[in-house]
Amino acid sequence: MSDFDALLKARGVTENLGANITAGVFNRAGRHAAFALGDGNLCLSDGHGWSRMKAHVGAILALAADSTPNGFLSGGDDGKFQRIAIDGSPTEIAGFGMKWVENIASFAHPKSGLLACTVGKFVHLFQADGRKLRSLTHPSTVSGIAFDAKGKRIAAAHYNGASLWFTASTSETPRVFEWKGSHLGIAIHPLGEAIVTAMQENALHGWTLPEGKHMRMSGYPSKTESFGFTKSGKYLATGGADAIVLWPFFGGGPMGKPPLELGMSDGAFIKRIACHPEFEVVAAGFDDGSVIVADIMKDKILPVCGPGRGTITALAWNASGSHLALGTEGGFAALVDFSKQS
Amino acid sequence: MPDLIPVTILTGYLGAGKTTLLNRILTEQHGKKYAVIINEFGELGVDNDLVVDSDEEVFEMNNGCICCTVRGDLIRIIGGLMKRTQKFDGIIVETTGLANPAPVAQTFFVDEDVKAKTRLDAIVTVVDAKHLQARLADSPEAADQIAFADVIVLNKLDLVTPEELAAIEVLIRNINRYAEIHHATRGNVDVTKLLGLNAFDLGRVLESVPDFLEEDSHTHNEHLNSISLALDAPLDPEKFNAWIGHILQSQGQNILRTKGILSYKNEDRRFAFQAVHMIADGDFVAPWKASDKRTSRIVFIGRDLNRPQLRRGFESCAA
Repeated sequence: MSDFDALLKARGVTENLGANITAGVFNRAGRHAAFALGDGNLCLSDGHGWSRMKAHVGAILALAADSTPNGFLSGGDDGKFQRIAIDGSPTEIAGFGMKWVENIASFAHPKSGLLACTVGKFVHLFQADGRKLRSLTHPSTVSGIAFDAKGKRIAAAHYNGASLWFTASTSETPRVFEWKGSHLGIAIHPLGEAIVTAMQENALHGWTLPEGKHMRMSGYPSKTESFGFTKSGKYLATGGADAIVLWPFFGGGPMGKPPLELGMSDGAFIKRIACHPEFEVVAAGFDDGSVIVADIMKDKILPVCGPGRGTITALAWNASGSHLALGTEGGFAALVDFSKQS
Repeated sequence: MPDLIPVTILTGYLGAGKTTLLNRILTEQHGKKYAVIINEFGELGVDNDLVVDSDEEVFEMNNGCICCTVRGDLIRIIGGLMKRTQKFDGIIVETTGLANPAPVAQTFFVDEDVKAKTRLDAIVTVVDAKHLQARLADSPEAADQIAFADVIVLNKLDLVTPEELAAIEVLIRNINRYAEIHHATRGNVDVTKLLGLNAFDLGRVLESVPDFLEEDSHTHNEHLNSISLALDAPLDPEKFNAWIGHILQSQGQNILRTKGILSYKNEDRRFAFQAVHMIADGDFVAPWKASDKRTSRIVFIGRDLNRPQLRRGFESCAA
């Protein structure tokens, strides 16, 4: 076998989960990871054992850390939005019948934590205890949501642009950022300086905050399914190409500045991106199953696992950045320990 | 090639009997599992199948192609369905009665993720035999739906006389000569005649084009018309691509559908070509049999088609 698996072998815990993995995250405490499966099961692991429970009737479409330290949030094509406790027991937060729960986000705060899910044209906003706050209506189906770093605003991507809502306001009208086309995922700059969406046309679009100036980031050979800002907000790390494409959000960028490209593969495309919570470090998962970690400042690439286990569909750091969770379409899951070892 | 899940698009004007037909498909004991994407949630029998409720959300692609509209909701739903571990034998997409079939068909050409997992099997249009004439007179969508069809279910036959039926078939043939027509009352058509046809593979359809229909009958519906061209000489792929590219770029708004089975020079496989408006796709399919006459055939369905000009162009693609 190749050396590409050296790190996985030395520091990884692996498991075949038996069904395609649709998402993977750590809880906020960072001790447990959850993997969502296409058969409706959710698998939890603390790096030692694995447990499994039936969370949804159909596929699990969305998964996120709960706003509380230990739980998870899941949404499915059975129309359920629920909280999963660390022992695997589910509690339904809301049910939407035939409609799918496609995106989930949460914001952690000791007093004013928030939960959100998207169902069709609506973003439903809840308090951390699951009590419904309000429903935000959009002109077309919402395909991505994100809270800002302070939980004050939530952004939603949809046709012809994005909407930015104040979470504490009761206003029925968001600030709308327009750009023609179908906007898919969305991210907010950690310092609140920009909103970025991925588009149907193999490009990203952004707006500066508060001005709303347009930013267009194009040149991708495939759709950018996954992207995020690095810890400092200096770079927007994006998938959709055969290398990690990093757009500079400083010194006047990204407009008129070429992006950095790190971790060029041999023809595989990046499907998942996970920015490290502490450092300017990005993990990238490819459609051939390989995973790398790139240190932007040192311009160094560390292979985590090699190709051959299916397209990477789940990739996430825990809150301290000591562990990376990865999962594939083929049902292969791993937790890799990056902490200092004596 | 991975196993691509066949997708059937079910169209038909309001009241033509789409829901009745869909119910029949879903309740018949065919032992298959279908996902059905619908817009108006009616009284559907959903025992073994998954029904997904959706809004028809059309958007324009920013690709410089003015008629490239796509159903974003379908891209999302198909992505979601593909996350399921349990796979489907097919997907049926029902459109609303007033819908133009182009955006739904174009979705299957444009989106790479959708193309990687599914293939457009056929466009099935349900037609109300009793009211077709009135619909063609008052709504262009009705004619477009017939023009797009690979298969037409001529429904409500119990409400028309044999003479009326004959007249209706002429109306349909004037718009689309190449669709298969199945007669039905309350949607009683064998499911195997509607699903899993590989109609976009086209070979069978085009080979069965009856030549006697080639005479123009000149009773056009807003000049909506279909023509077929045949060429015995093998084609030069580069010449063909240049020609068809130009035709679709310049006339794609008027050309609703193009389908072809082509014989390329020095190539034993048949090339299947298809387009919806300006969006084209093509691939090599099964080889010609030794007994086949290697005739390239191409069909255009659209408005204001200039047959002599198209014929000259097609003939100029000979190698």
